[in-house]
Amino acid sequence: MSGEKNTNVPVRDLSVKQGFKLSKFLVSWEMVLIYILILINLVLIATRTNLYFAPGTIQAIIQSGMDVCPLVLGMILILMLGDIDVSVASTMIFASMVTGLCCQSGMPAIIGVVLGIGAGALCGAFNGFFVAYIGMPAVIVTIATSMLFRGVVKIILDVNVLKVFPSFYTTVAWTNIAGIPLSLILFLVMGAGFVFLLQKSRFGRKLYIIGNNPTCAQYSGIDVKKTKLIVFVIMGAMCGVASIFFVGRMGGSVSSTMGTGYEMTAIAICVLGGVSTNGGKGKVYGPVIATLIMAFLTYTLGLLEVDANSRKIVTGFILIIAVLIPNVNRELLASMKLKFIYKGNKNIEALNVKTAAEVKALKESIAEAKKDTSLNETDKASKIKKAEDKIDSLQKKCKKQTELWLREQREDEKKAKERFAAK
Amino acid sequence: MNKNKSMVSKITESRNFGLVLGLVVLLIVARIITPSMYSVNSIINMLQNNAVYGLLAVGEMMVIITAGIDISIGATLSLTGVVCCRLMAENPGVPGIVWLLLALVIGALCGAFNGILVGYFKMVPMIATLGTMYIFRGFSFLFSGGQWWFPHQFTEGYMAFATKKIAGLPSILWILIIVFVLAIIFLGYTTKGRRIYAIGTNKESSQVAGIKEAKVVFLAMTLCGMLAGLSGMLYTANYATCSYMIGDAYEMTAIAICILGGVSIVGGKGKVDGVIIGFLMMAVITYFISLLPGLSVWSDAIQGAIIIAAVALNKFTERSAEKRALKERSALI
Repeated sequence: MSGEKNTNVPVRDLSVKQGFKLSKFLVSWEMVLIYILILINLVLIATRTNLYFAPGTIQAIIQSGMDVCPLVLGMILILMLGDIDVSVASTMIFASMVTGLCCQSGMPAIIGVVLGIGAGALCGAFNGFFVAYIGMPAVIVTIATSMLFRGVVKIILDVNVLKVFPSFYTTVAWTNIAGIPLSLILFLVMGAGFVFLLQKSRFGRKLYIIGNNPTCAQYSGIDVKKTKLIVFVIMGAMCGVASIFFVGRMGGSVSSTMGTGYEMTAIAICVLGGVSTNGGKGKVYGPVIATLIMAFLTYTLGLLEVDANSRKIVTGFILIIAVLIPNVNRELLASMKLKFIYKGNKNIEALNVKTAAEVKALKESIAEAKKDTSLNETDKASKIKKAEDKIDSLQKKCKKQTELWLREQREDEKKAKERFAAK
Repeated sequence: MNKNKSMVSKITESRNFGLVLGLVVLLIVARIITPSMYSVNSIINMLQNNAVYGLLAVGEMMVIITAGIDISIGATLSLTGVVCCRLMAENPGVPGIVWLLLALVIGALCGAFNGILVGYFKMVPMIATLGTMYIFRGFSFLFSGGQWWFPHQFTEGYMAFATKKIAGLPSILWILIIVFVLAIIFLGYTTKGRRIYAIGTNKESSQVAGIKEAKVVFLAMTLCGMLAGLSGMLYTANYATCSYMIGDAYEMTAIAICILGGVSIVGGKGKVDGVIIGFLMMAVITYFISLLPGLSVWSDAIQGAIIIAAVALNKFTERSAEKRALKERSALI
């Protein structure tokens, strides 16, 4: 065993399941989101104490944010593929229109609801067919279909408002069960379903593979086209489900101009929840928490008398910062270091990085030696001394070499300048 | 074998042939249904009211060629329009050219912000511009204070940039023509313009060739923002009204024009002449629909259907071209 360790070759840890580490768990993105949620709550408590503890406030806040929740869940799957769907709001309105028309003509409520969700799924299949089988980019298809679906609604409804909807629509959006909003319960149940679908089922794992590398997925025997089509159909069906929440929230009426901008909110929530728009990264928990954050944030800013349009600015900045934070990490720091400390010299950077790694390995060996009980004191001391000396010499060598290279670089630059000046 | 192609087959196989054919068919149909469309005045009117889309589409094209997308241009248009209108209404004595330059500067700043996010911080263009769309639209509202501006507040010098007739054409069309010509020169014949194509076609190889991706993306997005700012000023000057709500969903129309004009959304492909034809098509379609009684509710659906049809057609022609190329190659072997 000890022989292996002394070779200093970093052996890649191939075990997929890493043990539970509290320190890692506490800085994971989901936990950061929870901290943000708590922070918003604290701000709300600090500024509007009476209102916050008044009965019904928290329920109202949560209810106000729940009308996009099915869209968020569907959007996770779409983003997982590396695609995007901006037609969800139009599809949602289309589905509500179908339900509304069915109910208006006197059909039983349940048929109307099923037909509405079916219509949503059909719209999704339309998108999916063009994206998967014709190979058109998802952005373009869904921009076009968002015009198309809303256009169809405009043609059919014109300026009329549909008002006949099943009574349970408003019940879903506005009632509490034992102090918990019914919409939140439904959201969490659906969320659990999506956790199972995405993280535990074979279908969900396929999505991760396709999102990371579609070509690789194709060669490993996954029917990419079919999977994409299914995901878009699921998204469409979720739009149909969202129409229940949305119409209920709107008090049981629908017109052709409602719900614009919901697609952007849904995408923003997913991105805030840590789902990568490049595909293949993200979990369901993040967006679920982000939905709540968005609800609390909108409500808090509203209470702080920030008007709707300034809230947009905040939403925009949060979106950008949320995406930037994971981007700013190591890569950017390394490039900054290269530019300012190492003066753009890659040799110096490589030397420094290598030395740092060696020093780290030596320090680890010192720590090991200190713990080692099999050695007697003098041996231990000598071993530690040896390692420390080595560290010292390494660092000195590195510093010397860095200075040498920097001086060389400066001289080169000087020479180049002189040459240009001579010309 | 390729060199000896006849003139006719060269024309029929070019990208723009289908577009021009579509445009001609559209014009004939329009001629039959609404004869009133074909007076010089109404055509100029149609182009004048759609000129803003043309400006936006040229900017959007540059961004799409770098394999990005900019959905904040509608908000940029609104922000510049509001800022210019407010300052113009407060300082009526200032000559109009100042507002034009101000609009260019504000637009360029908005575009540069996008460019920094996408180019230097490597954010996904869709998401970055989605965020900035919210931000610009919000600032537009803050700066306007929810106020509207009406024709009596607009100075002559300001409106002249859109409506003053020079040689029979309103000046907004002259500006549009100048922008088209400049874009053709920039994208076709300058090093920086060719670099935009290089980045869009293949990022890795263009980086190996010494092109800095971040700089090129930054340049493209700044130019796009600049054109959006210009169109914001011209939009308010043309209609002589302004509020923070202008330019809503204009980015979608601009993208639609680009796609109709054969700009590939995955980057690297697209020319200004295609965008000009796409712009003419979109103008004719919207004008045609607005002339037919009772059809105005159809406009969204028809636009959406046309985009899907255009892109699907594009895909099929690409595939058949690939097949033909394969056949020719196998014949050589």
